Amino acid sequence: MKSIAKRTWFALILACILLFGVLTFAIRYFLYAERWVSFTGSPHVYTNGKLDTGEIVDRGGEVLYTSAKDRTYAESAALRKATLHLIGDRAGNIPPRILRAYASKLFGYDKLNGTAAMETSDGELRLTVSAQVQAVAMQAMAGQKGAVGVYNYKTGELLCAVSSPSFDQLDPPDPENDNADGRWDGVYIYRFFHSSYTPGSIFKLTTLAAALEQDPGLAEKRFHCEGSVLINGERITCPKAHGELSLAEALSSSCNCSFAQIALQTGAEALTEKAEAIGIDRNLKFDGITTVRGHFDLSDADDNALAWAGIGQYTDLINPCQYMVYMGAIASGGSAAMPYLVESAHSGGKETYRVSRSQTEPMLSPEAAELLRGYMRRNVEQVYGAVQIPGLEICAKSGTAEVGADANTATFAGFIDSEDYPLAFIVVVEQGGSGSRTCAPIARDVLQACVNVLDGER
Amino acid sequence: MDIFLDFFRGPEGITLLSVYHAVLRLSLPILAFLVVLRSARSLLGFRREPEVWAWLRLATGELQPVTHWENLLGRKKSADVVLDFATVSKNHAVLTRLDDGGWTITDIGAKGRVEVNGKPMLSGRVDYGDTISLAGLEMVLEPVSREEAQMQALSRTKAGKGHSPGLTLLLLTVFQLLAVLELVFNRPEDRVTVISAYGILIGVQWAMFVGQKLLKRSGFEVETIAFFLTTIGLGVIASAYASEMYKQLIAMGLGIGIFLVLGFCLRDLETAKKLRFLAAGAGVLLFLVNLVLARSVYGSRNWIYLGGFSFQPSEFVKICFILTGASTMDRIVTRRNMLAFVIYTAFIGACLVVINDFGAAAIFFVGFLAIALLRSSSYPSAVLVLVGVGMLAVLVLAAVLAIRHFPHVASRFAGYGHIWEDSFDKGYQQTRSLMCIAAGGLFGLGLGNGWMQYMAGEGASDTDLVFAFVSEEWGLLMAVMMIFALAMLGLFVVRSAKVARSSFYTIGASAAMSILIMQAILNFFGTVDFLPLTGVTFPFVSNGGSSIMACWGLLAFIKACDTRQNASFAVKLSEKEAAK
Repeated sequence: MKSIAKRTWFALILACILLFGVLTFAIRYFLYAERWVSFTGSPHVYTNGKLDTGEIVDRGGEVLYTSAKDRTYAESAALRKATLHLIGDRAGNIPPRILRAYASKLFGYDKLNGTAAMETSDGELRLTVSAQVQAVAMQAMAGQKGAVGVYNYKTGELLCAVSSPSFDQLDPPDPENDNADGRWDGVYIYRFFHSSYTPGSIFKLTTLAAALEQDPGLAEKRFHCEGSVLINGERITCPKAHGELSLAEALSSSCNCSFAQIALQTGAEALTEKAEAIGIDRNLKFDGITTVRGHFDLSDADDNALAWAGIGQYTDLINPCQYMVYMGAIASGGSAAMPYLVESAHSGGKETYRVSRSQTEPMLSPEAAELLRGYMRRNVEQVYGAVQIPGLEICAKSGTAEVGADANTATFAGFIDSEDYPLAFIVVVEQGGSGSRTCAPIARDVLQACVNVLDGER
Repeated sequence: MDIFLDFFRGPEGITLLSVYHAVLRLSLPILAFLVVLRSARSLLGFRREPEVWAWLRLATGELQPVTHWENLLGRKKSADVVLDFATVSKNHAVLTRLDDGGWTITDIGAKGRVEVNGKPMLSGRVDYGDTISLAGLEMVLEPVSREEAQMQALSRTKAGKGHSPGLTLLLLTVFQLLAVLELVFNRPEDRVTVISAYGILIGVQWAMFVGQKLLKRSGFEVETIAFFLTTIGLGVIASAYASEMYKQLIAMGLGIGIFLVLGFCLRDLETAKKLRFLAAGAGVLLFLVNLVLARSVYGSRNWIYLGGFSFQPSEFVKICFILTGASTMDRIVTRRNMLAFVIYTAFIGACLVVINDFGAAAIFFVGFLAIALLRSSSYPSAVLVLVGVGMLAVLVLAAVLAIRHFPHVASRFAGYGHIWEDSFDKGYQQTRSLMCIAAGGLFGLGLGNGWMQYMAGEGASDTDLVFAFVSEEWGLLMAVMMIFALAMLGLFVVRSAKVARSSFYTIGASAAMSILIMQAILNFFGTVDFLPLTGVTFPFVSNGGSSIMACWGLLAFIKACDTRQNASFAVKLSEKEAAK
């Protein structure tokens, strides 16, 4: 009997599996209950598919969305259009990601009481963006496809996160039947977070950071450009022969031949490490948004490909938001604030959420950042006059990425070197031609609007 | 702390009514906790005092107690009567008590012979005063005197001592009354049904309690747990469709009938052993009837409709299956062949695959493992592993084939692990479950106030997803309490195996418990997407007549292994004890 009795451990194991399941589920409950209860279609939080309660306002208190009775949006068509991708559209083609992530904070859910003590329709979600700045950006983009982003690299507040094209919530287009000219292509995509682009020459800022960290003497070197250089039997070309160049000049004239050399000297390993440190192929996650990953992979690259990769071509891809954070890191000496969109949430007269800010990992050394800042300032002074705003030290780099026979992606990224206006930015225009010519004026308008908003808050 | 204040808040802020409801909401889990805790302390805290059925007096004068109905005599440490002499084999003989109080001894293939009064004996009767010789080691079988038996009955701790089962039942009754109060407030239109249904439940449980008292039995914890779970189950039905409460009560009544009859049959091993053949036949018959008559519901052909009533034959086969599989130790160690039982299990498995009921197949598989493991006491475990793995392989293969060929099964498995990606179709049931569990919080939205009730019936919220239903209305704490209650019964079975009278009871209880816990695992894990939904009921809680009847039937096996003094009606007091 004793030996038989011992074999009842089988029932004991089953009981343990059951109890282990309870424990696992209890942990999951405490981690995810908010997400479950506020998921679209949750019978307690949504009526007829609409979130029951709350409104979303911008940093200035401008109401962008109200869900209490029926969904209503910002008052002016321009603001509705400029904030479409943040809020989500009526038909559900653009998901309301932020709202979904904070639904539980908006109606005052808690794990102890469930929805039993739920408040009714006085929730408020405050965003960091300025609807006014968004509208300026939208206007500056003038219907071109692309993305504009500005954020405070000291705090992480995103002031502008625009995706173009966009439309008025109350007057939606019909892209299925009315898109002969292709102007609604990808209109439902939030390009700033969810597109990746060939960066072109703004990627030289990554290559240069890797090179400067590996060889501090590089800053003193001189380069020679004959208009093209043969690497591995294929040519790397510049628009013209740049002649003798300092490193700063190589960057300001965006000399491909010089940067091909720099990339080769630095080598695939150091470049890949730098791209990893910057986080090119990682995604950022905040406020219900997960940015798409960029791409940097030299595992199959020969020397020619390595050279192209170093000047932002080959298979390189960046996500605008992520690369903008790199600009912030250069501005603040190596590591920047993590971006975010939601400042706070209130429900039932109580604060249910307040952002806790954080920093990125170091992306580059302070010395390299200092040198890059100087070069980028020089770029603006000597080449990108169009972005100049009197009294502000703007630093930038442009890019013109070749993505097809006749197609260029225009890119422009940088920051304001200022204690009062610590803003990093990026502008991407698809089929935009020259980076500096297309994007610099857009950047100027948007930065000016941001400065005005910050001045207004003082 | 605002969220604690929120606990008392109602739609109009903190009012007298909202505080009343908050107190009610808090009282239910506290009472449930007390009921489960008191039962647990009684069931898990008892001292395992052996019952002495006879003595073996060795030539040295040493007295060895015989503490089971089936006793392994041998040299090894895990023998029930350890005879540490070089000539005695590790497993030498089995000494078995018969229902009439007599004894038999069986030689189980030892090297040295077994002799009774000098005559070699392979298997035969031993009377008190007879000399048994194991390879020359002589001992005399001596009876336990009436005085000794009465002393023993007096000195063993009475079941439930220190944790009066009556008080526990009283707490359960308060729990039930509070549930009624809440249901009547939230569902005034159903108040007559609710009050009378719970009235019947309370009446039945006290009648059973008094009945057991009359039989001089004081252990009522196992039944209390069953009634506790039934109380919650009835609350779920009241919220989903109150009119079905009576149906569930009738099924419960029939189940209790099975429980009592089976329990009384299990008191005598001879009766129980006779039942085995009946049970084996009934099991086959039930499945054949199933194959011929059953109608397909949600893809599984496991429902029979007879005159307005519907039932699932496979539920009752569980009881037959355990009776068929249970065995006494003299049989286990002499006839080592489990082939017949393996074939029987394979037949059941095949039937379940044909009717496409994989949840039930998994449950029977676990039941088989529990039984096979106990019956293989001196078996090379490799054989067992081989049989087990083989059956598992067949099950998996059948499942894969079914997923390929049956759209219903396929769709159930398709959503698994990806429920949020398809929350309006394949993941609908589980995502709604998780949403509602979260909405209920720890204390629930109140009985009758949930949303899962709109998903009852076709949406299976009152059966397959009942964990979520209970979480939403009674709170996550209560849902967890039901699982604790079941797991606790499991621990009790394992604990009491050491002092069981016969391996028949140990096997029965262990298999019954394994089946009940497996049901809870499949039900709970399916609801929260740890496993695919297999459509298995939660014991005693899920709405379903056949299910609750079968659960009560399985409970009889657990009662039969409760050998605490005067604990269980399914355990006979010896005539000597009874005579006092």
